Amino acid sequence: MTPEISRIGPPEPVGQPAAPAGPVSYDQLDDHELLRLHVAGNPDAFGYLVRRHRDRMWAVAIRTLGEPEEAADALQEAFISAFRRADSFRGDAKVTTWLHRIVVNACLDRIRRRQVRAADPLPEDEDRATELAGPAEDDPAEVRERRLDVLNALKQINSDQRSALVLVDMEGYSIEEAAAILGCAPGTVKSRCARGRARLLPLLRHWQTTRAGAEAPDVPAKTAAEAVGTE
Amino acid sequence: MTDSGLPTSEHLEHLDPDTIADLIENLLPAPEAHRAREHVKACPDCQQTFDALLQLSADLADEGRTDIPMPTDVAEHLDAVIVSESMLRSSTIGVHSLAQIREEPRRHLPKLLGAAAAVVVVAAIGVGVVFATKDNAPGGTADTNPTTVVPTGAPTLSTSDVGPDAQRWLENSGGTLLNGSADELACAKNFASGRPNPQLRLVQPAKVDDQRATVIGLQGASTQDIQVFVVTGCSESGGVADPFYDTTVTLRNR
Ligand SMILES: [Zn+2]
Repeated sequence: MTPEISRIGPPEPVGQPAAPAGPVSYDQLDDHELLRLHVAGNPDAFGYLVRRHRDRMWAVAIRTLGEPEEAADALQEAFISAFRRADSFRGDAKVTTWLHRIVVNACLDRIRRRQVRAADPLPEDEDRATELAGPAEDDPAEVRERRLDVLNALKQINSDQRSALVLVDMEGYSIEEAAAILGCAPGTVKSRCARGRARLLPLLRHWQTTRAGAEAPDVPAKTAAEAVGTE
Repeated sequence: MTDSGLPTSEHLEHLDPDTIADLIENLLPAPEAHRAREHVKACPDCQQTFDALLQLSADLADEGRTDIPMPTDVAEHLDAVIVSESMLRSSTIGVHSLAQIREEPRRHLPKLLGAAAAVVVVAAIGVGVVFATKDNAPGGTADTNPTTVVPTGAPTLSTSDVGPDAQRWLENSGGTLLNGSADELACAKNFASGRPNPQLRLVQPAKVDDQRATVIGLQGASTQDIQVFVVTGCSESGGVADPFYDTTVTLRNR
């Protein structure tokens, strides 16, 4: 695993705000301990583990699959699989890395099955799209807006390019790791990433200029067009 | 070919974004890559696209680092799935027919919740059976039930049993056995963290010499060596472990 992978997963919770010396709970057990508890037969430990990381795993699934129903189904498969194979977890790895990989594989499985069934029909649904950005009270408006922009843009590129881009650009896997996960040659991953970026660029140009702030208001697209037209 | 500068005709023909993206990923054949690089250098528009593509990757990486709150209904559904999976697992010990339910493919929520509900009922019956068995064996230990390889509940034993029992529990459970409520486990963990060898291998509620106690095993010099403590205090919420007996056992290789 490359060092970048280690950023996957939120930081460990730093104890409970209330009653630091009082009753302790699962929250004070780290991921490895929770997984060991689970393997040893504890009925609640796995649920705590999943709850701790579910927003991260949801992000991976919804970005890769685009559709909330699909993402929920993929996570269900992934969590059941992780639940049952927990005893095969190697103790020297990060639990989040392990869980993340199972989620990614479950998402890719769904994409493959979907590709067999039909040619990737992705219906638009405005209400659900907004819902995708998560509960309104949780994040500032501009965070939600950017999240939606990216999700919508990702949905408009083909699923091969999307999975490669999510793995490499968004999740920080190396080209080689992504190739192993996707079961294709590194060159294919590079090519899918390149084409995916080229397709995403016009869809997210607005987003980029917003992020760049006031320094370059709305210049790029226009000058390019003018240059072509006038010369 | 274009080293000495860009002819007007070529300047007019901008590179398409695919080519620029391929250039960034080193996917172009050498001559084409060279030509494209020279063009980008000389053409502000294509340079801008080039920069924007690099920036896009950086922005996607930023965005990738942010989590997305799981919608409440999805979270609740997945919680239910995990609870049902847990119940399936804990009930498979005594109720063999559950193996079939366990293997049943579950793809749709309604079907799944139906299965989960059925399991709740069966699991409740299973628990009842276990309790009944215990009640019928007054003063019984885990030994009285031949099918129990690892203890459930709090077995009764004397301090002289602690070593052999702890060894048997650990050998039967693959080397680690952590039982008890979250409070009890956390108490054991706190106890362990104050020791030079803090790795928990065993937590087992028990009645030792007629007092409610917790048997705690910490890994010793090797993975086979377990230092076993019997403590009071961990059965109370927020309690602190108070050891009153300890011994060392060596697990046999399996
Ligand atoms: Zn140009």
